[in-house]
Amino acid sequence: MTEAVKKALAELRTGEYKKERINNETYDMTEKFVDTPNELRSIAALEDMLAHETPNILKNDIFGFNRRNINTPYYCNSAGRKIRGGGGNLTPNYIHTIESGFEGILKEIAENPNSGDSQKVVFYNAMKRFIAAVLEISEQYRVAAEASGNARLAKALAWVPRKPARSFYEACLFFKIIIYVLRCANMVHLTLGRFDQYMYEYYKKDIARGVSREELLETLELFFISLNVDGDLYIGIQQGDNGQSMVLGGYDKDGNDMYNELSELCMEASLELSLIDPKINLRVNKTTSDSRYEYATKLTKKGLGFPQYCNDDIVVPFLIAHGYEEKDALDYTVAACWEHIVPNCAADTPNKGTMDFPGAVNRAVHEKLTSCADFNELMRHATAAIAEDCDAICERFRPKGAPGTGNSHYSPLSLFVDGCLEKGLDLSQGGAKYYNYGCHGAGIANAADALAAIKQVVFDEKAVTPEELLAALDADFVGYEELQNRLLACPKMGNNDGTVDDIACTLMDAFVNNLSGKPNGVYGGIWRAGTGSAMEYILTARKCPATADGRNAGKPYGCSFSPAITTRLNGPLSVIQSFTKFDMKKIANGGPLTMEVHDTVFRNAEGEKKVAQLVKAFIHLGGHQLQLNSINRDRLLDAQEHPEDHKNLIVRVWGWSGYFCELDREYQDHVIKRTEFMV
Amino acid sequence: MPNGRVFSIEEFSTYDGPGIRMTVFLKGCPLRCMWCHNPEGQRFETEIARSPVGCISCGACFNKGAELTGKPSLVPESASVCPRSLVRVCGEDMSPDELCAKIEKNIAILNMSGGGVTFSGGEPLCQAEFVLECLTWLRGKTSRAIQTCGYVKNDIFTRVLTECDYVLYDLKLMDDQKHKHYTGVSNEMILQNYRTLAASGINFITRIPLIPTVNDTAENLSATAQFMREVGADRIELLPYNKLAGGKYRMLGRDYVTDFDEAVTPQTHMEIFTKYEIEVKVL
Repeated sequence: MTEAVKKALAELRTGEYKKERINNETYDMTEKFVDTPNELRSIAALEDMLAHETPNILKNDIFGFNRRNINTPYYCNSAGRKIRGGGGNLTPNYIHTIESGFEGILKEIAENPNSGDSQKVVFYNAMKRFIAAVLEISEQYRVAAEASGNARLAKALAWVPRKPARSFYEACLFFKIIIYVLRCANMVHLTLGRFDQYMYEYYKKDIARGVSREELLETLELFFISLNVDGDLYIGIQQGDNGQSMVLGGYDKDGNDMYNELSELCMEASLELSLIDPKINLRVNKTTSDSRYEYATKLTKKGLGFPQYCNDDIVVPFLIAHGYEEKDALDYTVAACWEHIVPNCAADTPNKGTMDFPGAVNRAVHEKLTSCADFNELMRHATAAIAEDCDAICERFRPKGAPGTGNSHYSPLSLFVDGCLEKGLDLSQGGAKYYNYGCHGAGIANAADALAAIKQVVFDEKAVTPEELLAALDADFVGYEELQNRLLACPKMGNNDGTVDDIACTLMDAFVNNLSGKPNGVYGGIWRAGTGSAMEYILTARKCPATADGRNAGKPYGCSFSPAITTRLNGPLSVIQSFTKFDMKKIANGGPLTMEVHDTVFRNAEGEKKVAQLVKAFIHLGGHQLQLNSINRDRLLDAQEHPEDHKNLIVRVWGWSGYFCELDREYQDHVIKRTEFMV
Repeated sequence: MPNGRVFSIEEFSTYDGPGIRMTVFLKGCPLRCMWCHNPEGQRFETEIARSPVGCISCGACFNKGAELTGKPSLVPESASVCPRSLVRVCGEDMSPDELCAKIEKNIAILNMSGGGVTFSGGEPLCQAEFVLECLTWLRGKTSRAIQTCGYVKNDIFTRVLTECDYVLYDLKLMDDQKHKHYTGVSNEMILQNYRTLAASGINFITRIPLIPTVNDTAENLSATAQFMREVGADRIELLPYNKLAGGKYRMLGRDYVTDFDEAVTPQTHMEIFTKYEIEVKVL
């Protein structure tokens, strides 16, 4: 680590710079924009925001473009609802603009035959206003950089973002400008995507003209540090949920490994810095070498909660089967948490709605169990309940009017999504190529466990009657503790038990068969099924009464695609087998198997190698996505008592990593409860 | 066919041999090492353990005993009634077929990593017939290892060796008097079996749990290295004492008593092994 990086890291860690921020809580432009045409309010709000911003360059910062004002302005939509802009959870096409410069983009607009179309001129003018605002704030930064003696930054800003970036540094700076401005429009989930691919040309060019690898590593590390400066401001659900995910590696259509020197550099920088951003997602497949897994395991050992692994052999076929062109599918990235999306050209919403598996099963149990002659009949009712819920989800999210009308504002993001500029159509008007929806699937293990328990206790052993079971569920097991223990002792998903795993597969098939490919009513978009739970493993679970797996009312489900939290597991080999039995190519919207590995497993290089082998085994078995956390339980418990001693303790909570001490108690407890695989 | 008594199975054991190991812990041991960290592996009888931390003293476990036997006590059924899952039965009887069926489900993954199965304990050779049956069952399917203290009759040891692909062998103390004091038995048979192992041509590694002031002395480690050289052994792993060793005694209602000072950091004396051209690794 160079001196410059050490200094920048120290400055970041003290957090002193946060004192310079302005807390503008009551930044309300509702009145001011009341006469502004509805579709232009987002652009007007952004202009207003940027007019309130002043250059904020840290002492050891070669990138700048850090927020001064904490909040973006409120304005209101045509329905009169106060909003703050927003949007995102996609991977924009940064590189086209970085390689063109905004002058190039302006030229594109001028030369576009649509720009004379009176219907479209408002859109193009909005985009031009956006560009003017970016150039304005960039010039302010140039002047400020010059005044403060930051020659490197000042010199670069004399060129970018007007002109195309010429070096790796300028390209990274350009990137920072783009996300800074989009975030001033309150877009919080903009992912970095395949940074190692689209920035590789700049890396190679620099190397070719004699820049050393060490210098490039320094630039990259300073860039990573810069991404952490404002990371706390761009929160989604909780701290850390800021969308700054980066995807490394992956194969091309001929099966060539795209992991390159820049991918390596990113891994190295992340390992050296141990910072929460960017969150690394590693694309792997059957041919990925052991050494790649081993190096990645070193990163897991840091306790940052990443890398997250995504399996090309599963995700690419999933996307192609859902109508994505092969080249787009091969280029897939990861949204803020785990949703598999395609970059540059898509306006997918990969996290609409949630299939509540335990809820659907519970409904079937309550309504039909007493009339079922055998277990198969109950299974038919359970899958029918899932089908009903799929229909309800589709209905709930079907646009009420014609798409693109009503509340939509022109989004500056349109400038960075292929097709919009060309067609003269905003993202909200169908400018993008894909408009698919993804649906989460929460609590699959609890649902399968509940049915397996009923099969054993009610139908096979006939130990209790359906009426008794329902009475116990209604009583939340109060007075039925013995029955609850009996249910808890039944086979559970995660222990490689054929019966319960088959039940899980049947439930997932019902989900996929009744949802995947159905139209969503948005510019030809369809639905995709997934295994993520987002917040629902806690929120939906809170509303779900007691279930026949022995779970008490309101208790959380397993997180995303994981065993129920009360399951006593045989160990990770059984877990990865249970969770790869289903053909994951059908359900790869995203949602990882999450496993915690106690830090003692990593004690030495040999331990690291074996953990790497475990990951590799999961991928070879056909797993789609894996999150591996290195957690020391004692440390977490101590952190609850003495947060002051564990300020840097980072955990991956579900899709994202967060500072443990900043999480709500309920989330802390969940992290602690997740089963560990101890040596 | 003999049944075995198992007190734990770990699927992802990273320190019990090459690759990912599935380790089977067999109950019962002829030694009583003062530092033993697996007290539930010492006795052959099935035991019921009750962990103290988090117990809300609800009495459900003892009430179950009262219900079934007439007097408040821990019974195997107590495990399923504890609301905090703090009660556990240590010791499950299973046939070689049952155990091997469990192992077989993981064999593909174990083999993928260059790993296999390790029989540990307790002392696996206390249940030699059962272990032999399992090892034979697994022949040709995966790598088979035993982790042993070597305290078993030489003819039994020799028979088991024929079905082993890898052995992890403890040499705890070279001085016989001290060995008796700290483990309860003489090391004579252990050293004899070690010679047999070295002569067998089977791939093996020597291990020493390094106990501060007990066996981490230059004197003991030199004697160990010398003995290893003499029989032609060239690899050793040192496992420095872990202060968590006594952690599991309370759940069995026992006390952890030692006459060495736990606070002293064990000395590894790597140079001694290097001098004897023995490859040494600290785990």
